[in-house]
Amino acid sequence: MLEELSHVLNCVDNTCISCVMQLSVADMECVVQGIIETQYIILTFLQLIMIIWTFSIGTVASEVRLLCDLEQSEPSWSVRHVGGAMRGAGAEQVSVLVRSMVESKTSKNALRLFYALGYKFDHELLRVGFSFNFYRGAQITVTVASINKMLKLHATDEAVPVTLGIQMVEVIAPATSENYTEVATAMSSFCEYLAP
Amino acid sequence: MPIRCILHWQPNQGTVVNSQVLNEISQCVETLNGVKEGRCKASLTFYRPNLRDQSVTIDFPRDFLGISMLELPNKYFFIIRGQKIVLEADSSILLIMEKLQSYKSKVALNFEGVLYKLGDFQIRVIKVVPNQAESLRGIMVEIEYLPISSIEKSKQIMEEFIDIWKEIVAKKSLAGQFMHAEPNYAEYGLGDNYTSQHTAVQYAAALAQLIQSAQVRN
Repeated sequence: MLEELSHVLNCVDNTCISCVMQLSVADMECVVQGIIETQYIILTFLQLIMIIWTFSIGTVASEVRLLCDLEQSEPSWSVRHVGGAMRGAGAEQVSVLVRSMVESKTSKNALRLFYALGYKFDHELLRVGFSFNFYRGAQITVTVASINKMLKLHATDEAVPVTLGIQMVEVIAPATSENYTEVATAMSSFCEYLAP
Repeated sequence: MPIRCILHWQPNQGTVVNSQVLNEISQCVETLNGVKEGRCKASLTFYRPNLRDQSVTIDFPRDFLGISMLELPNKYFFIIRGQKIVLEADSSILLIMEKLQSYKSKVALNFEGVLYKLGDFQIRVIKVVPNQAESLRGIMVEIEYLPISSIEKSKQIMEEFIDIWKEIVAKKSLAGQFMHAEPNYAEYGLGDNYTSQHTAVQYAAALAQLIQSAQVRN
């Protein structure tokens, strides 16, 4: 498993890597890449549609993301809200972008519900790749995936990469407003193992 | 999970529901040798779109409800009755809705009940009260049959129990009766196997009946 992960990361390293690093209050995610030395790694395949919806009528324009996990035998849905970036002295002290993220698993009617509530479809993306889960100062999930766009609505069989040969590498770790600095430290430490 | 049927109390024309009726109904359960097991609670919230221009509300659903159940503290249910949509979500969906600011909660009602056990059945005698108020707005009875989760398979035994229940209540000569109108679960995309989503749909339907009969009386 460790060798497979190293191999994957080496392959990714030979191309251009887009690295997203984000932390969020309440639920936080950190994305890091690097060589894993822990013994416990859980590898899962990832095939996920992310659909972005916007609600543009009202006092506040709002955006919500609907995620559909296609890898399971029965597709599973969740709703995610990602807030704006944290600013101020606290944000300047950490080397990562911090923003709030809240996610809720839902039954399959999420799409119909938000459409009925007046939300408008904005765009959708298909992520295909792998995710690794392990503990290294924080519970960390590494995702290596290609980002694909679908030429027709929800047509996953006809997806094409947004940028050919480039993979998105994300490292995510849950955190709270009380411990996000520790999680950021664990993430930064892991980052040091990442190839530039 | 076990099948449940919800009956709502319909007062006679010109009468209102009150705590005396509630007490008499609770006594009916005790007549059946029901044993008090505990309490139950659910909350139902009406949501309205958060719009600058209120004249465009016609474009948005008027029957968007949220339901929480004490027995499922980590879950929340959304229903749009007009479009027959029910959604089960983690309770974190409430935080998402708060952040989205697209809809605001307007009116909340509590369904507060006492749970009785009767052999293979459980009965919840429920009073419908506004949030942060004590005035009784309605009465419901929730009948649960523990051994079966198939709606179709439990139909006969449930109907027989409901008939017995109605007979016992009728002997009290109260100014009203229990009504049972089972929603069309298939329209909501729900199957024969009973789930919490079925319960949420029943709560919404029973409340709609309560509101409608209150409007007719007024």
